[in-house]
Amino acid sequence: MDPNLVRLILANRQISYALTDRELIVTQVNGTLQPGVSPHPDWVGHSLLDFVPEFVGSEKALAEILTGQADHFCLLLVNREIDENATAYVTMEVLPYPDQAGQIHGLVYLVQDTTEWGLSALQVTQHRNELGLLREQLEQQNRKLTASNAELQQLSTLKSQFVSIAAHELRTPLTTLYGYLDLLLSESFGPLNEQQRKFLEITRNGARHLTQITRDLLDTSQIEAGQVELLLKPENLQALLETVAAELKPQRDIKHQSLTIHAAADLPLALCDDMRMVQIITNLFSNASKYTPEGGTIDVSIDLAAEEGFLQVAVADTGVGIGSEDQKKLFTRFFRAKTASLTGASGTGLGLHITRNLVELHGGRIWFESELNRGSTFYFTLPVADDLLSSWSNPDEFSREL
Amino acid sequence: MASFRKKICLLGDYSVGKTSLIRRFVHNRFEDKYISTIGVNVSRKTVSVSPVGNVVEITMMIWDLAGGEEFSQMQGSYLRGADGAMLVCDLTRAKTLDHLETQAHNFLRINPTSKLVVVANKKDLVNQMILTGDQLDTVAAAFDTRYFRTSAKTGDDVEAAFRFLGELLV
Repeated sequence: MDPNLVRLILANRQISYALTDRELIVTQVNGTLQPGVSPHPDWVGHSLLDFVPEFVGSEKALAEILTGQADHFCLLLVNREIDENATAYVTMEVLPYPDQAGQIHGLVYLVQDTTEWGLSALQVTQHRNELGLLREQLEQQNRKLTASNAELQQLSTLKSQFVSIAAHELRTPLTTLYGYLDLLLSESFGPLNEQQRKFLEITRNGARHLTQITRDLLDTSQIEAGQVELLLKPENLQALLETVAAELKPQRDIKHQSLTIHAAADLPLALCDDMRMVQIITNLFSNASKYTPEGGTIDVSIDLAAEEGFLQVAVADTGVGIGSEDQKKLFTRFFRAKTASLTGASGTGLGLHITRNLVELHGGRIWFESELNRGSTFYFTLPVADDLLSSWSNPDEFSREL
Repeated sequence: MASFRKKICLLGDYSVGKTSLIRRFVHNRFEDKYISTIGVNVSRKTVSVSPVGNVVEITMMIWDLAGGEEFSQMQGSYLRGADGAMLVCDLTRAKTLDHLETQAHNFLRINPTSKLVVVANKKDLVNQMILTGDQLDTVAAAFDTRYFRTSAKTGDDVEAAFRFLGELLV
C-alpha cells in the first residue's frame, strides 16, 4: 500500500502505533497524537510496559497474541490525564505483527485518540448518574414517607375508634336525659314555675347541643372509616327541601327570617338517601339562618345542573359572608370561619365537612360563592334517578356501602 | 528489599467514591464535585508493607473502573490479570452493598485467586449512614476478607484499606 495513503488514514482516524519485538521491546514508533497519548521515539529500545502502564497485569494476554492463541487485546475508553484540567480518552489495541514469512515477529500497539467521543459519553454518563442519584434519593424519601404515612394512618384509625366509642357512649345517656327533660317541660308531673321552666329549657338546649356534637363526631368517624352506608332511591328533592324548611321554621321565626323555595317545572327525581339528604339540607338551611341577621331572607332554588344528569340546589342567604382567607378551609373538619365565630352562633366546625362528604358520596359536588357582609350561596348537585331506577320495584337493592 | 508490581481494580456502583478514594490515596487530595468516570483510569503508587516482618515494596497499579452498568461489557478486558480488588460501597446507599456481591463474583470468575477487601465509603456523612457493621461483616465474610469504613473526604482509613489489600498481595 502507498505509505502516503497509510499515513493519511492514520492521521485522519487519529491513530498512532508502536512496533515491538517478541520481548515487548519497542522497535519502531509512529506518533502523531497529542503528548501523553502518542508513542514517542524515546520509547525505542525500552519495554512497551514502561510507557503503557495499562498493560501491566496483561502480560499473559499479550503472550497469547505472540503464540497465536489470541488475535488481539483491546482496552476501550482508557483515560489519560494530559494535565490537571484535561483528560484524553483513547482506545488501545494490540495485534500480532507477522514478518514476511508469516511468523509472528512481535506486536503492533495501536492507540486511537477518541477524546471527542469520550467527552460526549462522559456528558451522557454524568447526566444519567446524577439522575440515578436523584431517583435513589426520591425512592428513599418515598420509603420514609410511606412508613410515616402508615404510622399516621394507624394513629388516625385509633383516634377515630376512640372518638366513635366515646360519642356512642355519650349518646345513650344524653338521649335519656333529653327525654326526661322533655317530660318535665311538658308538665306531666306537675306545673313548673317560671324559673324552673327557664332552667329546664337552658338544660335541654345544652343537652340538644351535646347530642348534635356526638352525632357529628359519630358521622365524621364513620366517614373517615368509610363506613357510611347509603340507601339510594329515587326521591322528590323539592319535597325534601320543603319538609326541612318547615321543620326549621321555628328557628327562622325567632329571627323573623323568610325562606323561599323556587323549583323549575317538571324536574326529575333525584337518586339519593333521603335520611342523609335531610341531613345535608338541614345543615345548609340551619347555617343560612344562623349567619343571617334578623329580618334577612333565604332563597332556595332547584333546577337541572349544567352538568348533564344532575340536579342543582342553591341556598342563598343575606348573612355575614365568609372572608377570602377562610374560604379555602371552609370544608375542613373543625374549621370555623372568623365571621361565624363573631356572630356568636354555636357550632363544632364539623357540619360542612360532613355535608361535603355526604354530597360526594352521592356522586355530587358542593361549592359556594360568598362575599363579606353580602351573604353566601351554597350549591350542591345530585344525580338524577333515571327511568329504570324510578320504576324499579325494589329500590332498596340499590343500597351500597361507601 | 523485594519489590512487586500488582494490579488492583476498584469495583462498585457509580458515585460510591472510587475515584475519590484513589485520588486521596495517590495524591492526598479530595474534590467535592462529583464527576463520573467512563472507561478506566490507571494510577500507580508505591508503598512499603511488612506483612510478615520483612519490608516489601509494592507498586500498585490501581484501576479505577466506571461504575455504571453500561460499562460492564467492557470490564472483561479491564479485569483480566488483576491481583486484587477493592469492593467499594456507599454507607448511605443500601443498594450499593447489595450490588457488590455480583461485582465480586464477576471479578473472581476472571481472577479466581485474587484477593479482596470491602470498603464502605462516606463515613463522614454520619447522619445519613444506612449500612450497619453487621451487614458489612456478612458481605466481607462471604469473600473471606474484612471491611473498612472510610472517608475519602477526610482521608479516614483510606490508606489503611489500600495497605491491607497490598499486604494480602505479597
